[in-house]
Amino acid sequence: MPFSSLDTAAVARALSQVSDREDDWVDALFERIEEVELPPEGEAPGFRVRREEGLAVRLVRGREAWRASRDGVGSAIFADALRQIARSMPIATYPEPMLAMSPWGKAPEADEMAEFPLAVGRAVRARHAAFPLKMTMRRHRRWLQVVGPRLVPAAEREAFYSLAVEASWGRWGTLAVELGDGLAEQVAEVLVERFRARQAAAPTSGVTSVALGPGATAVLLHEAVAHALEADTLGASGKPAAALGVRLGPEGLDVLDDPARAPEGVRRATDDEGQAVLRRWLLRDGIVEQPLADATWSRAHEVLLPGAGRRASRHFAPAPRSSHLELAPGTTAEADVRRGGALYAAEASRGQLDPWSGRFVLELPCGRRGGPAGEPVGGFRLTGTVGDLLGKIAAVGDQPVAAGAGWCAKGGQKLPVWASSPSILLEGVEVRA
Amino acid sequence: MTGGPLESVLRAVTGREGAGEAEVYWKRGRSRRLEREGLETAAAAQREEGWAVRAGTDRGSFFHAGTGAPSPDVHWPQPDGRPLELPSRAIVGEPAPWREPPELDAPLVGEKEGFALLAAIEDELQAEVPGARLVTARLDDGGSEVEILNSRGLAARYRQRAAYLRVEALDRRGDEPRVAVVEFGMREARLLPAKAVARRLADRLHVARHGQPVDRDRADLLLAPAVSARVLASLLPLFLGPEAGKLAERLGGSRDRFGSEMVTIVDDGRFPGGLLAAPADGEGVPTRAVTLVERGTYRQALLGLREAPTVRGVRPIGCARRPSWRDLPAPGPSHLYLQPGTMGVGRLVGGLTRGYFLIALDGAPRVDWTEGRLQFPASGFAVEAGRAREPVRNTWVTGTIATFLRGIVALGRDLQFEPFATGGLIGAPTLLVTGLELRGAGG
Repeated sequence: MPFSSLDTAAVARALSQVSDREDDWVDALFERIEEVELPPEGEAPGFRVRREEGLAVRLVRGREAWRASRDGVGSAIFADALRQIARSMPIATYPEPMLAMSPWGKAPEADEMAEFPLAVGRAVRARHAAFPLKMTMRRHRRWLQVVGPRLVPAAEREAFYSLAVEASWGRWGTLAVELGDGLAEQVAEVLVERFRARQAAAPTSGVTSVALGPGATAVLLHEAVAHALEADTLGASGKPAAALGVRLGPEGLDVLDDPARAPEGVRRATDDEGQAVLRRWLLRDGIVEQPLADATWSRAHEVLLPGAGRRASRHFAPAPRSSHLELAPGTTAEADVRRGGALYAAEASRGQLDPWSGRFVLELPCGRRGGPAGEPVGGFRLTGTVGDLLGKIAAVGDQPVAAGAGWCAKGGQKLPVWASSPSILLEGVEVRA
Repeated sequence: MTGGPLESVLRAVTGREGAGEAEVYWKRGRSRRLEREGLETAAAAQREEGWAVRAGTDRGSFFHAGTGAPSPDVHWPQPDGRPLELPSRAIVGEPAPWREPPELDAPLVGEKEGFALLAAIEDELQAEVPGARLVTARLDDGGSEVEILNSRGLAARYRQRAAYLRVEALDRRGDEPRVAVVEFGMREARLLPAKAVARRLADRLHVARHGQPVDRDRADLLLAPAVSARVLASLLPLFLGPEAGKLAERLGGSRDRFGSEMVTIVDDGRFPGGLLAAPADGEGVPTRAVTLVERGTYRQALLGLREAPTVRGVRPIGCARRPSWRDLPAPGPSHLYLQPGTMGVGRLVGGLTRGYFLIALDGAPRVDWTEGRLQFPASGFAVEAGRAREPVRNTWVTGTIATFLRGIVALGRDLQFEPFATGGLIGAPTLLVTGLELRGAGG
């Protein structure tokens, strides 16, 4: 950990100086980020490294908040940021804390990434397909340490890979905690499916039944459940606490957010505000139980529990967001769920929720008729309101798998999100070509 | 021009075994963000500082970026992939003189001053639409300084300044809540016009509450800058990159009749008063104005240094965009705009016998590049005998790209820029367009 030589006790003492009212909330975030990128073959520069570190301090007093963020970590930098958020400072202050991060090590290498595009190419050819594609791979590492005047949680670390593919038929991307032949096979499967469906006709618009594979289901739940139940989304249109107890889905629909059960490498014990994460039942039996909340929303509404505060970096404010979404397994065999709809879609390219109207659009880049082995169809969209769409879940598969990992963009912040889900079957949903 | 840390890093990188070319980029910035969300307020102050080095040999190249000031004491990665090509002083020639705008030295907006501006917008809004309120408001004000030095003799140093406002208003009256969003950019936050922002919000809330989709119609359209600039932005592949010229020929049939006589499109890295105006681009190449379309004739696309054919005596455009030190330079517009006319908007509306004045987009424009078709959902007002009548909303405007560009028959003088995804700005004035069709919700 780069924070082993950070004097967190001295930081906590310094923070306590600006927290001069009983209900003040003050904290500091120290952060180090490394991103190693391998561009598509033939692009210059050929190997890309971004290494950054910095800090942010924050004071929350009632309905007001002050934040200061800096690139770089050092005593003077911290003291300057602290002065900027302080409403008052004692005449005699503690000495500036000695802040030092362990130095960056030698230049990173990326041998494991260099092999991966070749493995994907082999797996594509093994499926008797060949097409040009540009693949950009990135290895992301982030270390963070939150310090409060009374609480200093353990430092956290995240490490994962992202993959972005550009081809003549469009773009596709995913996140993974490790590279290997298994992932290469999965990537090839998706790419070949998209390639073969590139000229397929879209299904006719109308009301029909649609089975969604785990990847598409994860995107649906991320947009229709997680975003809909973020305290800031609920707060913009009303009181977040009023959502508790509202039926949003059918009986038997259990959706959770549990950062502690995310894949090894991105698993978290505390959130980006240093609050302990929890196994949060967003929907239990289809009823809203506990929306996503960060410390600020939790302080304003005591029925909301903190632990879901996330920030893309020190330069952003924490906001309530999901980390690892889970759809609890149902009782129907996976194969029956996937074959149960007039249309089947394994992957979704994106979803979009209008928080004001509750209207929701899920974009599916391609699909098949009648199940995974059916005739390919071109891209289509599912539309409806959140309550309407979730109410049409007729079956949930019995085998959840890790799926649908990707980037979530909201409010200018881009965050990695993870999920575990079985397939679902939707009856009587509106499909648009 | 530049020196100190940049030169020492350049020496350290090019002094490595087998190293050839290198470039050092250093950006420092400070900004203030004031936010209101319901009854909550937040004031944030950021200071950012980062550097980036691109370096290469004949066997490969690398990019390494980090926080703080550039330092030679870095573990540089091994070059990989393709060699790097950097611009040289000899190619770019002598830069034109540059005078820094005076606003660069103005202090950032203060906390009280900024929140007072947001409160003034809300007061003005409530005077226009009783009961309406701002649900979210965000005001950013910031300045930055960039230095670039490369081993081929190119050096640049410039400062920039920009303020940006985004407000979202809510009108809860009636059966369902109505929301309107307005975004505004200026050099300085202090110059943001509270009354004009509130009026735009009020117009959009009015249209959202009372507007109805148009079933099907073909009439003259006035597109306000908030619509015309975003539609122009959706057509950017026609103006950017090595394939743009071919695409323009295929969709337009001919370069000579690409648009109407009224259509002149320019990209200008030094646009007077522009938020991104600078003497050099993200690689240190001097910027200049370049005409892409002149009175309806397609002249050229916006091409990066390595995409453009080297023509003796013709200076490169200088269009490498580099939003932050984390980003690699990439060709893109800085201030790409449709040149305005001389008519006021009132005169354009007054001259419309029957048509529509569309003031806001209800969603992103969709472009079918295979068929050359364009459609976008918009809101505004029906116009009869030069007067705005009933509001319309969620009405899809459809037609071909060629029809749109050739159907522009008059231009307002109210040029406005909208932020574009890659960090550039796209601008257009109010346009009078003929030949497009309106269809109800769904397109």
